Amino acid sequence: MPPLRKMPPQIIRLVLLTIGIVCVYFTARYFLTPPSFGQYGHYRGKALQEIAAREPYWAGRNTCDTCHGEIVQKLAKAEHKELSCETCHGVSKAHVENPEVKLPKLSYSLCVRCHEASPSRPKWLHQINVRNHYTGSVCTECHVPHQPNEVP
Amino acid sequence: MSENITRRSVLKNLAGIVGGILAAPAGGACKAAVKNVFASSPAPPGYDPTQHKWLMALDVNRCIGCGMCVQACIEENNVPESHYRTWIERYIITKPKAGSGQVRGETIVDSPEGGRKGFPEALVPKQDILKSFFVPKLCNLCENSPCTQVCPVGATFDAPDGAVLVDKNYCIGCGFCVQACPYGCRFFNPETHTADKCTLCYHRITRGLKPACVEICPSQARIFGDLKNPAPEDPLQRFIANNRVEALKRYLGTGPRVAYAGLDEEVR
Repeated sequence: MPPLRKMPPQIIRLVLLTIGIVCVYFTARYFLTPPSFGQYGHYRGKALQEIAAREPYWAGRNTCDTCHGEIVQKLAKAEHKELSCETCHGVSKAHVENPEVKLPKLSYSLCVRCHEASPSRPKWLHQINVRNHYTGSVCTECHVPHQPNEVP
Repeated sequence: MSENITRRSVLKNLAGIVGGILAAPAGGACKAAVKNVFASSPAPPGYDPTQHKWLMALDVNRCIGCGMCVQACIEENNVPESHYRTWIERYIITKPKAGSGQVRGETIVDSPEGGRKGFPEALVPKQDILKSFFVPKLCNLCENSPCTQVCPVGATFDAPDGAVLVDKNYCIGCGFCVQACPYGCRFFNPETHTADKCTLCYHRITRGLKPACVEICPSQARIFGDLKNPAPEDPLQRFIANNRVEALKRYLGTGPRVAYAGLDEEVR
């Protein structure tokens, strides 16, 4: 191999230029790569925490259980045992923060939303043709939502 | 002039600039600024994404099409109007024409407002319906997700815990991923100007809660669980054990993970 000085000048320039470009690339990468990049993969690890940082909206059944354990236990024995409290009663966040805030009163449209007969609904579900079944607007006259098998 | 600017002098200057950048104390400030932009707000402590593998399963036989899950998702995640992270499709398969020798007639699929307000009565008369059912849809949590492969800036990724997430600070809103998803599970959020999708309610599952749609579903049509840490009598394990499960569009090779029970061949 010829000594460096004997290398053709155009090759030396090319080598220097290449080294320069590589240096610029690594410098830029050092400053522009976010700190947590590559923590789990080819993305920002912190992004996971940022996405998780939001506050949940629905409180969940366990939250209701802390104050209304009796009702939750009663419900757990009845037909509607799989339902979350918030499915019918709506989001309870404001109520949890201040128990004085009452949850909205429920209307019969909520019952109908699930129990109105439809050919698309699975056969195991109790379905009614509302018009033939009842003409009023208070399902709770005859049904107890927490214990659907009971008669009030 | 051309004699003054030689290749050598340009290279010398370039080297000087590079050296300057390396040496300048401004470099430290620049790094700090980048750090600041991407500083994260407090997240639930102690959550290690490598210790979990989340999965959602859907029981088509249990879905009653009430649309509570769609509404719950919209409220939980502030999903903009007429966009859906999860939605319900109603399949109506009509009876074949008499004497046609076919198994089934026409397949009609609808999803008014994603099903968020429930479903109005079908336009097909009841006596013409061979069968009808509801199919809840959401991100299929693909193993080889095409949406993350097409992202030109690495803003979307498969998290180690199974969720496919979008890094909103990196997304440039090009919309490639929206087109790449064969399930139509992504959309362009007009408020944030980024791609948006089901995160499996990442802010809920990292806190030990169920995703909003699973929490609100009144009929146990949605089952959610952790494959790495199954709970005692885990509903997900029980569901997988007791049902013949299938995934949507498996032939595309995207490795969809969301398990469906009771699928009909017409479901795409």
